[in-house]
Amino acid sequence: MNRMILGAIAALALAGFAGASSAEQNPAAVAQARHEHFKQIGGAAKNISDQLKSGKPVVSEVQMYAKRLDDLAPQLPSWFPAGTGPDAGIKTHAKADVWTKPGEFKTDAAAFAVEAHKLNVAALSGDIAAVGAQMTAVGKTCKTCHTTFREKDD
Amino acid sequence: METVPVPPAKASTVRVRIWDRPTRLFHWLIVVLIGLAWWTAQIGQMQWHKRLGYGIAGLLLFRLYWGLAGGSTARFSSFLKGPVTVARYAAGLFRRPSDIGPPGHNPMGGWSVAALLAVMGTVVGLGLFTVDVDGEESGPFADRISFDAGRVAAHWHHLLFNGLLALIGVHLFAIAFYAVVKRHNLLGAMITGQGRAGQGSQDVRPAGIWRLGVGMVLAAVFAVALGKGFKV
Repeated sequence: MNRMILGAIAALALAGFAGASSAEQNPAAVAQARHEHFKQIGGAAKNISDQLKSGKPVVSEVQMYAKRLDDLAPQLPSWFPAGTGPDAGIKTHAKADVWTKPGEFKTDAAAFAVEAHKLNVAALSGDIAAVGAQMTAVGKTCKTCHTTFREKDD
Repeated sequence: METVPVPPAKASTVRVRIWDRPTRLFHWLIVVLIGLAWWTAQIGQMQWHKRLGYGIAGLLLFRLYWGLAGGSTARFSSFLKGPVTVARYAAGLFRRPSDIGPPGHNPMGGWSVAALLAVMGTVVGLGLFTVDVDGEESGPFADRISFDAGRVAAHWHHLLFNGLLALIGVHLFAIAFYAVVKRHNLLGAMITGQGRAGQGSQDVRPAGIWRLGVGMVLAAVFAVALGKGFKV
């Protein structure tokens, strides 16, 4: 019995260690994947903006990209495991504050997820004016978080 | 009878009208608009930043037109000189006393103006395709390209703006150099239109009012069309 428990604990510890070390071993790959995720978010937002600007938006397109934003937004905090910040000596625009102010970071990310979900709801309703207004709200959450946690482009 | 040796003649100059009103107005408007465009980008007022960009684009188009149809000193044909003339002028730059030439841009300054116009045009052109990092704000032509390409445009928009700042720095340095070393006030001429020029110089030949009207309409239509992304 004891041996089984010990074995289980050891297995769990190993698994946990392996899980943690995979991120630590290759922070560059994590940062790269994170970068790709953010490009998907930016691309989706741009596609919705393009539709809104076109004067004759295709509702199905708006809905597709709004759903993508709603799907991606809640995942955002998981793209920032410990050890994948600027201290790791990798190419990233993420500031160290992401990890030193985790509470504020999570709040900002959660605000984005909430507004992205509302965007999806607005898109599903087919109300383009509501989508436009909600895009502004989503954009504000992008900006709020980026101001604090993202290094400016040079 | 003994002739008294004539003292070395001080380079003599005359005061003439150098710049026509539209050229001066263009100059100071673009100074203000570029300053405001920079500032609105800093504070994230992108709606105003874009409007200012369309205004700058309109002004640049006006200046190109004025370079073909404007007052004599504003015309490209009057101030874009060949490499030999430029090299000769550059070689004589430190010769004293001052050798003030005909009214208008000197052979080096002419190309400096051309470079400023070209870089300003490129910065504005890139801005039309620029996408911000959130994919939320973008130039009127950004819907024709991908998010990634729009980010590349943003990068160069920013980089070339720094290039523009460098050119403006050279421009200001040259004006200070002429004021201090050559005792030639260039700034005053761009404000009042009048200044010193070489002996025998004539006033600028201004272009007719109807030419000005055509240029202003062209610039306004262009700026508004850009704002609409050339969509009706």
